Amino acid sequence: MAQHIIEIVNLVKKYEMGHEEVFALRDVTLTLGKNEYVAIMGPSGSGKSTLMNMLGCLDTPTSGTYFFNGENVSEMDDDDLASIRNREIGFVFQTFNLLPRATALQNVELPLVYAGLKSEVRRTRAIDALTKVGLADRMDHRPNELSGGQRQRVAVARALVTSPSIILADEPTGNLDTKTGQDIMQLFGDLWRGGNTVILVTHEEDVARHAHRIIRLRDGLIESDEANPNATAI
Amino acid sequence: MPRLSEVAESFRIAVASLRVNLMRSILTTAGVVVGVVLVVLMGWTISGLDAVWEKTISIIGKDMIYIDKWNWAGGGNWRLMEARKDITFEQAQALAARMESAEETIPLTRKWGGSVSLGNTSLRCSIMGTTTNYGNTSAGTTMEGRFFSDIEEREAEKVVVIGFNIKKNFFPDESPINKSIKIAGVPYRIVGVIEKRGFLFMDFIDNQVFIPLYAFRSSFGFFDRSFSVGLKAGSERMLNIVRDEAIGHMRSIRNVPPAAEDDFSINEMKAFDEQAKKIRLGIWVVGIGLTLLAFIVGSIGIMNIMYVSVTERTKEIGIRKAIGARRASILAQFLIESSMLCLIGALIAFPIAQTLVGSAQYLAVHVFEQDWAAVVSPFVPLGLLGIAVGVSIVVGLLAGILPAIKASGLDPVEALRSE
Repeated sequence: MAQHIIEIVNLVKKYEMGHEEVFALRDVTLTLGKNEYVAIMGPSGSGKSTLMNMLGCLDTPTSGTYFFNGENVSEMDDDDLASIRNREIGFVFQTFNLLPRATALQNVELPLVYAGLKSEVRRTRAIDALTKVGLADRMDHRPNELSGGQRQRVAVARALVTSPSIILADEPTGNLDTKTGQDIMQLFGDLWRGGNTVILVTHEEDVARHAHRIIRLRDGLIESDEANPNATAI
Repeated sequence: MPRLSEVAESFRIAVASLRVNLMRSILTTAGVVVGVVLVVLMGWTISGLDAVWEKTISIIGKDMIYIDKWNWAGGGNWRLMEARKDITFEQAQALAARMESAEETIPLTRKWGGSVSLGNTSLRCSIMGTTTNYGNTSAGTTMEGRFFSDIEEREAEKVVVIGFNIKKNFFPDESPINKSIKIAGVPYRIVGVIEKRGFLFMDFIDNQVFIPLYAFRSSFGFFDRSFSVGLKAGSERMLNIVRDEAIGHMRSIRNVPPAAEDDFSINEMKAFDEQAKKIRLGIWVVGIGLTLLAFIVGSIGIMNIMYVSVTERTKEIGIRKAIGARRASILAQFLIESSMLCLIGALIAFPIAQTLVGSAQYLAVHVFEQDWAAVVSPFVPLGLLGIAVGVSIVVGLLAGILPAIKASGLDPVEALRSE
């Protein structure tokens, strides 16, 4: 199979809660290709957050395998995971997760700092990314000087700046009003059209309908995995 | 290892975070400030002491050996020395006649607890009877007038060379030369003033007056009086030769049986060096103890505040990890922050230490008029500043290591979830 970015086979994640074992993911098998636009849906407790942490290489599975661009993530140590997150994954969080004391530009530069790039290169690329999300004129503002929508745009720019293999967005419109939320969804649409792979994690149908493929989770298992012919990726 | 870009970022973060919590940062460094001040004060004290000591010894003469019944530096068995026979005038003269390697051989005797008087006031001092060649030693160098002459010595003339303190007390604003003071009720004419020699522990040296041996005999007598003999070796290189020769002559003069120990002491400035070393060591031990204590207290404070900082910034650590910070990056970030905290402490400490040092020196010289303090530098030595900076950075690293390990080991998922 050509162009598979993500290959997950029989993924299991269980937590010890006292003496009880809780299965967050029971047995998940899944492949994702390049330039897909996928929504992962499910009610709370369905395991979608756990799956997102796995996909984002923030956590490792209890059993099963996870190949990311051919690399076996399930056997990586902390630093390898950090490195793959840095190179391959762009995160967009519900609560933006920007550093409050850093300017927009510094926030966007941060992943490049950990990639070890020189400051001139970082600056150029961060400015490009901010321009792409329409914030060229807000680069020196701190998060508290920006609106919610602008903050999320900074976060998207930060996710983009390393040219990652996937953009992983966790409830990206959850803290935004409807209008601003639509603007952000449009931004994701633009990114997808520009060749990016986008994974949305959400419980909102309104958000998920933008995606071309919708994966529904329930009780740690994939309930359905269907194409969305009516995708409204705007 | 963290990359250069990460280290630079760490510095930026550290500065920003210290600036946000400026007051907290400054208070936290109090222990380190005290520690650095103590290090600097201790170092300064010792270097000052060394300077004073060097000066004292060089003035008394590093090339001098004194044969005496007593060991001046306080070593040896006191009872044994007490039981020794006095070194008589004849023995001192015999040694002077036999010595070949010494540049000068100078018999000396003294009356402890004597006094000199001018008008109705009298000053306690040691009265030394000696020969004219005492004037050829660095201890006998005059700042005014001259040492008494060969003829004055032989004729037992009533002339005196006074120590600096006598001049200062009796003739503060005028020349004492040719003035008369009374010793044991007899007027003596002042012919010279010995330059200031005593420093710190040896201030008594400036309370001496020197008169010709025979004049001494007519005033105080030689009976029941032990002599010392000063030997000027001329150079430190000659010390061994002069010492060996003197010991040989003295044993023969005093009929010491071959197997017996010397019944006299050899006094050299080297012996006082041992004393100085003990004092130095004492200051080091006390100083290091206090410093260590201050740094321990200081580093606990720093460690505490770093733990607070890690807790406050759990979310930030989560964000950094999510976007690719490795363990080493986070570790470096917090270690740099804690060592910068300590560096701030050191920077606060320097002006405090310099002010203390400067004012202590100023007070000693100008208010308490301690002449010895003038040879002590009123400035903190630069090398000490370097050591203090180094030590405080090390303390910062040590204090920061546990909080930094905690931060670097945080699970990114949980850290991101914290508020």
